[in-house]
Amino acid sequence: MIVLDHITKQFGAFAAVDDLSLTVPSGEFFGFLGPNGAGKTTTIKMMTGLFTPTRGRILINGFDVVQEPIDAKRTFGYIPDHPFLYDKLTGREFLFYIGALHELPKAALKLTVEKVIDQLELASWIDQRTEEYSQGMRQRVTFAAAFVHDPGTIIIDEPMVGLDPRSARIVKDMLKQKTREGASVFMSTHILEMADELCDRVGIIHRGKMIFLGSKAEMHEEKLKYDGKLESVFLELTKDDPF
Amino acid sequence: MAQLIDILLYKLAIWKKLSASSSRVLSIKNIFSFIVYAAFAVGAFFFARIVTWYLLEYIRIGLFLFHRFIAIVLFVFFLTVSAGNIVVSFSTLYRSPEMSFLLSRPVPYATIFLVKFLDNFFYSSGTLFLASFAVLLGYGSYFGMPWYFYPTILFGVMVPYMLLAASLAVIVLLAVMKLAAVVNFRVLIACVVAGYFLQIAAYFSLTSPVALVKEVMRYYPFVNVYYGDLDPAVTRFLPNYWFAQVLYFWIIGFSAGAASNAAALILTSLGALVVAVLLGGRFFYETWLTSISLQFQTRRARTASLPFFHFERESRFRPHVEAVLKKELWLFLRDPSQWIHAAVLGGLLLVFLASVGSMQLKVETPDLRAVIYIVIFVFNAFLLASIALRFAFPMVSLEGQAYWSLRSAPIAASTMYWIKYAATLSFLVLLGVAIWFGTNIPYRGIPLLLASSFVGILAIAGAGASLNFGMGAAYANFTEKNPIRIASSQGATMTFLLTMVLLAAIVGIYFYPIVSLFVTHYTGRPVPVSAMRFAVGVVVTIAAVVSIVSHVAGLRALKNDL
Repeated sequence: MIVLDHITKQFGAFAAVDDLSLTVPSGEFFGFLGPNGAGKTTTIKMMTGLFTPTRGRILINGFDVVQEPIDAKRTFGYIPDHPFLYDKLTGREFLFYIGALHELPKAALKLTVEKVIDQLELASWIDQRTEEYSQGMRQRVTFAAAFVHDPGTIIIDEPMVGLDPRSARIVKDMLKQKTREGASVFMSTHILEMADELCDRVGIIHRGKMIFLGSKAEMHEEKLKYDGKLESVFLELTKDDPF
Repeated sequence: MAQLIDILLYKLAIWKKLSASSSRVLSIKNIFSFIVYAAFAVGAFFFARIVTWYLLEYIRIGLFLFHRFIAIVLFVFFLTVSAGNIVVSFSTLYRSPEMSFLLSRPVPYATIFLVKFLDNFFYSSGTLFLASFAVLLGYGSYFGMPWYFYPTILFGVMVPYMLLAASLAVIVLLAVMKLAAVVNFRVLIACVVAGYFLQIAAYFSLTSPVALVKEVMRYYPFVNVYYGDLDPAVTRFLPNYWFAQVLYFWIIGFSAGAASNAAALILTSLGALVVAVLLGGRFFYETWLTSISLQFQTRRARTASLPFFHFERESRFRPHVEAVLKKELWLFLRDPSQWIHAAVLGGLLLVFLASVGSMQLKVETPDLRAVIYIVIFVFNAFLLASIALRFAFPMVSLEGQAYWSLRSAPIAASTMYWIKYAATLSFLVLLGVAIWFGTNIPYRGIPLLLASSFVGILAIAGAGASLNFGMGAAYANFTEKNPIRIASSQGATMTFLLTMVLLAAIVGIYFYPIVSLFVTHYTGRPVPVSAMRFAVGVVVTIAAVVSIVSHVAGLRALKNDL
């Protein structure tokens, strides 16, 4: 479960995220949409402890990210927008490294690593160094790393960058499966069709503020006001005011 | 040519934008940097002036020998710049992502090569220029040289000298990369390292400084006479000799001699640069392709080595400690710019220890014995400081853009910091103890000296590790992958200068107690125990304060947004 409680992030006078509040219950697949520079990545970085909020509180599975960062981080898996890895480690070593940071027992970790390698179909190249990987291969390894400790919450920033159709399908199925098992998924994306396909609820952020928040049914109602496409809703809501 | 200037101007613009302070934190850092640079320059100035005065007026070695000592220092300096440039050039010419961008544009290979060469040269030599110029000012002011002496020596001698070292370095690198297509890369690296050691050994065996000192001292007190006929013929073809001769001839007012040596240096330097650029234009792209295939081969060949340190293996350490240490080990061992540099420094260290250990100094006066001891101590400290800068400073930055994985994992950034720091400190302390042991063998009979220098070396290792590690975290640059460039950045330069100030303070505090100790030891008077105790206490206190301040700065920076 994720709770964002009036969070604000300011860089000097500029508010990248402005008084944002949101709750994502367990088992929900939440889609976080917005144009470039709207504040999506900043919000996610605050949720994962990479940024400190200027104001407000973030709870992940009951733990305050600022006050109890270690407990909070134990409970979520994070897939960043750019899948940077340690170039000189192999994919398998990276997974073991992440598992060790989560203090997983070695024997259990070995089984989990094998399982995610199998699920994400990484076996043929996982023992090469990550500097040899394509963008999509790196992305798949970051997915695997996020699943290694079986998190209760998954936070994803632009998940499909560089993934081929088969990998995208595998990832989507895994995420859906996680929500069925009770995990909450918070996914930022530009791909509206994917949000439409996967998400139980969608929020649209623009200039740091949440301008639309609705369930699948509410989203459907909103779509009918236009031409039945989420894209039209998105374009209308995020249209820049000339003044 | 226009293309070259365009690229260089863009690089300059990027550098200016990066250097321009747009935030309060950056402004404070810049002001702090300026203060440290200024303090260091002033320190280097007085250090050079005092050393010159001490050798010429207190020890009275004479102008000729003094400039021969300068030639020796310049020779070591030349090799250091050259070896450093090989490693830096390897990283930037063959490992830089910018290269893929430039090579995919309609830019001639010779232009790309020259751009990267100049980029490397000015980036990695900035601190050396600053330090050298401050030393030159100290030297020149002692002799009361006119204002035009300084820019003339800087641009007419110092720049060509360093340019020659850098040009030779890239020529060697191109040769290595060309041969790497047919000869094992590691064998080639070993040959280059061996070649550098052979040069050092050959230089000292051919020039035989001890014999030269004895020869000149036979004519004492007429030591200011020019004894050029005592110089071995081979040295007259070396750039360090030309450099020292320019200084010597200028000091004694023999302009023609100074000009001819400067001309030899400038022409050789330009010739080497032209050869380097021509070779770069002809072979750079070919060797770049070789490096790509080499990278692929070496990657596969090394994957299964050292099973004891594999991540899958059980460990007695706590998981966090194990994970961070194993990751650091593998990142280090698989990065050629790390292990090659470590191997070169390790080799130089062994040569140094072997040389000091076998040194037969027949010096009678206790003062001179003390000075020799302090010089060796300073060299030890300088060595530790250099190694700390090269390997401790980049430690946090080398987390790189993958740092997100650690920052979003259930481990406090401070835990990572202390684990890495513990590894760095252990390495530097062990190294310090080894250096101390190797260089103190001739002084076994003076226990108080051994104890105080041991504490001094530990203080330098500890404070050096803390300063470099802490400042490395405070000035962390997670987008730069090249550890050598990280260790040559503005923050690193400032840290190095701070370390030099620390060393100067420690040596200054130790100077008189050590001289007194030598004097009392060899004259049978009471040993100055309390003075030495006080000096040790002050040194330990300074080291502790420096360490604490550095860690506070480093740990605070880790809390910043990523």
